[in-house]
Amino acid sequence: MRRRDVLRGVAAATAVFPAPAVRSAYAQTAKPLVIGGSVPLTGAAAETGLNVNNGYITAASYLNDVLGGVEIAGEKYRIELKLFDDASDPARATTLIQRQLDDGTNFFLGSFGSNIVLPTAAITERAKKPMVQTGGGADAIFTRGFKYVFGMFPRATRQFAPAAALFKSLKPAPQTYSVIYTNDAFSKTAGEGVRLACDAAGLKRIETYELPAKVTDVSSVLASVRSKTPDILVCVMHDQDSLLIARQMVATNTNVKLLFQGLGPQLASFREALGKYSEGLCCSTYWDEAVPYKDKFFGDAKKFAQYYRTKFTRPIAYHVAGAAACIETYVMAMQAAKSIKPEAVRDALAKADFETMYARIKFTPDGDGDALLLGGMIGQVQKGKLETIFPGEARTAEPVYPTPTWDKKA
Amino acid sequence: MSLVVQTLADGLVLGGIYALAAVGFSLIFGVLHVINLSHGILVLIGAYLALVTSQALGVDPLLTIPAVMAVLFGAGYAYQRLLIQRAVDRSPLGSMLLTFGVALMLQNIMIWVFSPDMKSITPSYAFASFSVAGITFDAVRVSALAASLVLLLCLALLLKFSPLGRVIRATAQQTLAAQLCGVNVKHVYALTFAVSAAFAGAAGIVIGVILPFSPADEALWTMNAFVVVVLGGVGSPAGALLGGLLLGIVNTLTAQYVGPSFPNVTMFLLLVLLLLVRPNGLLGNAFSASR
Amino acid sequence: MKRSPALVPLLIVAAALVLALGPFVLPPFYVRVGQLMVYSAGLAVAWAILGGFAGYASFGHAAFIGVGAFAAGLVENQFSALAPGLLLALGLAVGGGACAVLSAAVAYPILRLRGTFFSIAMLGVCHVCAEVNNNVDFFQGSMGINFPPLAPASMDPADFFFWLYLAAGTIVMLIAWLIWRSRFGAGLLSIREDEDTARMLGVPTERYKRLAFVISAVLTGLLGVIYAHALGYITTDSVYRDDTNLNLIVFSLLGGMGTLFGPVIGAFLLVFITQVILGRLLDFHLFATGLLLVLLVLGAPGGVLGVVRGWRVRRRAATAPAE
Repeated sequence: MRRRDVLRGVAAATAVFPAPAVRSAYAQTAKPLVIGGSVPLTGAAAETGLNVNNGYITAASYLNDVLGGVEIAGEKYRIELKLFDDASDPARATTLIQRQLDDGTNFFLGSFGSNIVLPTAAITERAKKPMVQTGGGADAIFTRGFKYVFGMFPRATRQFAPAAALFKSLKPAPQTYSVIYTNDAFSKTAGEGVRLACDAAGLKRIETYELPAKVTDVSSVLASVRSKTPDILVCVMHDQDSLLIARQMVATNTNVKLLFQGLGPQLASFREALGKYSEGLCCSTYWDEAVPYKDKFFGDAKKFAQYYRTKFTRPIAYHVAGAAACIETYVMAMQAAKSIKPEAVRDALAKADFETMYARIKFTPDGDGDALLLGGMIGQVQKGKLETIFPGEARTAEPVYPTPTWDKKA
Repeated sequence: MSLVVQTLADGLVLGGIYALAAVGFSLIFGVLHVINLSHGILVLIGAYLALVTSQALGVDPLLTIPAVMAVLFGAGYAYQRLLIQRAVDRSPLGSMLLTFGVALMLQNIMIWVFSPDMKSITPSYAFASFSVAGITFDAVRVSALAASLVLLLCLALLLKFSPLGRVIRATAQQTLAAQLCGVNVKHVYALTFAVSAAFAGAAGIVIGVILPFSPADEALWTMNAFVVVVLGGVGSPAGALLGGLLLGIVNTLTAQYVGPSFPNVTMFLLLVLLLLVRPNGLLGNAFSASR
Repeated sequence: MKRSPALVPLLIVAAALVLALGPFVLPPFYVRVGQLMVYSAGLAVAWAILGGFAGYASFGHAAFIGVGAFAAGLVENQFSALAPGLLLALGLAVGGGACAVLSAAVAYPILRLRGTFFSIAMLGVCHVCAEVNNNVDFFQGSMGINFPPLAPASMDPADFFFWLYLAAGTIVMLIAWLIWRSRFGAGLLSIREDEDTARMLGVPTERYKRLAFVISAVLTGLLGVIYAHALGYITTDSVYRDDTNLNLIVFSLLGGMGTLFGPVIGAFLLVFITQVILGRLLDFHLFATGLLLVLLVLGAPGGVLGVVRGWRVRRRAATAPAE
């Protein structure tokens, strides 16, 4: 498999890249390096927005306070974050991004939600200022010929390839699947990706269920799942809706051999809420603190998570790491470019091949994350902990399949 | 066949909860003629209070209902006397916007205090279920329904038989006449608001037990209350129950037979249709003519 | 007050011309704020033709922004080979037309409702449109829809859209003024004051209400088409926004309900406050906006123009005995 070869390459690169972090004595003489951007701290996307926000802050304060700033082309810089709340409103986001451009901000971080990321990215693109973002996965962002916009994960329709590969490798081989997704741009494109990838993997699709963007009850869908039971049930939706589905599945004793939830089980709060019933659930994890990657600044993912916990009490989530990696990627691109000129940094970003505690960062020519490197891993809850079961190289445990029925978990 | 029955049963369970969540909204609209856009926030406050107390004391969340209701009763009284009373006699738009402003502020405060995360209350029986004649019920939902019905019944009895209920109804029917008979209208308004807030809080607990919640959900619960009240009619627990059950059934039936993403569409189409055919709701108007 | 009838439109056009100089002197951020101000003012005035003049306060006008935007986008994407100018004209025609059809269809039943019931029903209409738009794949609401770039390459799109909004806003304003001083406008005001009496006195209330509703909807839809182009990519969440529904009321309330210029003042003021003054607040602005609303309702229920009128009356009362 190509993917494995690439990952082996990662492991090799790890050995070559020990790069110790050096503390600087001249922190006080450092110049400010302004990075702007918006985050949705209120409105529909507030929950993930806060994770993204905390990730940005963690990276910036570590680089500034612990490492005493970063060195770019012989010059010491302190990162100065300028973030504002866009309230999940594109009009507000575009106006306030413009203010930052006027103020002379040259580098931008992304908001969360494609309908905000795209209009703001159009503005920064026109101004020829880079934006590195971890919140917009819709294909539209990466098919417009933007040159200055980079995403931390692959475009939505490409995100499901790893899961399909996992399903194929399971023994006994699953035959059928059904997919449930909610009707928002993110989940719907992901649902599309599931269908493309699983059909290509030779699984038979029994049913596709589309839920409203705001789910309150899934009894009727589950009744249908019970009457036409697939081997694998794939749910792609935001965390809150995943929890609702899982709880109702337990309560109505709706069993499938494997429940795969795009988002949800990666959150500690989700696993706590489900208790022992979370056992065996699978999810995409773009990141987990046990990932083996080395990091030039933090050392590795564990140390990143430790530092995060000294700053925040909120449980760590993969968006935190993705957001922190945006800033690390900027710094490494600037160091590679030996410049903080936006054009030079943009070129360095396009050529990026950096290892961070988040993943190995490499972008496609369109700016989205490389589908193999940034396509994410798959986790399964085993004995209350989230273990990585795919890809093989990052595996911390063997996949359990078929998973026990709900009443056996009680 | 069994699918139809299962769908209807699911709908009724859901509907009972909608009814409880809406009854306070209905009461305020009926008596004060105020559209309380902060209703959803009051519901969420109930849910968060139950979460905090049940975790701190380790008791079943449904047992926190009396305490939470008492807290919200007091808060509701103060809220009405201090803020809403000042806008109540002006245009209906004014009071509506006032409550919206309060909803925004409280939502922001909730985000500070509880973070924007989804939270959920998990009682010990969260995952139990039982079957009756081939129809599966999950235990939380049924207990939530039972709690809703009991509370609705309590409110109906309160309004019907207690002295407080009598003055509330009198004020709703003929504010001026009630005033002439010595009713302190401001006080009654505040009491009505307090009762409504208390029931919103209780609804929040019941909702918190079956659904995850986050501060951004407040609009959803305000909207649901809206729809229920328009369906069932203003001001009475019976109307709210009817509207709630109807909404619940429409929700599950549409989800099952039209498509899971269409309940809201049918819900609002039904709302608009009903407004045209019977603007006062199915049971007519329990109290005074709505403005 | 003695004013020659041509004075108001001259004033409007003059003000628009002065504003049009904005992009030459202002930094781009203020051009964007200006965009939002002029767009909001246009929406506010379009809303006020029904909500302010006739007293039918719609709580669902975002429906027309969304319907206009999506109708235009769906059709424009079929004819993407056309020149940008033609494409915009096509989009405006389709968007406006869709809103006209929708509003005419909804007008008959929904205008039978009064007061808060009308407001709620409009909210329902908005949500139905949003949900249908979001859930029927044909409309591409949840996947989002792209809009072809309109601005000539030599021009900053921010400036281009500012002028476009300004032109549209001025037209909306002029239409509102024409209505305001016409027999039709007087009829609408009489509906607001006392609909039953107005009907008794021979005002064709039903026809007037319906006409006002359709005009208001079409103008809102046209502005929605421009808004969608300015964003470049929209999903249902971008256009069917409940905060827009609410803001349209707040604009009028802040400036002065039922006046010609109140909504404009309100829109300018609120946009300035939320974007410029509160823009830098990170996690505080919901609270601040809420507080503003509360203070507004409690402190100045007549809006800015209400406060000004209050001063005038008091001054007149103070000077009266001296005369």
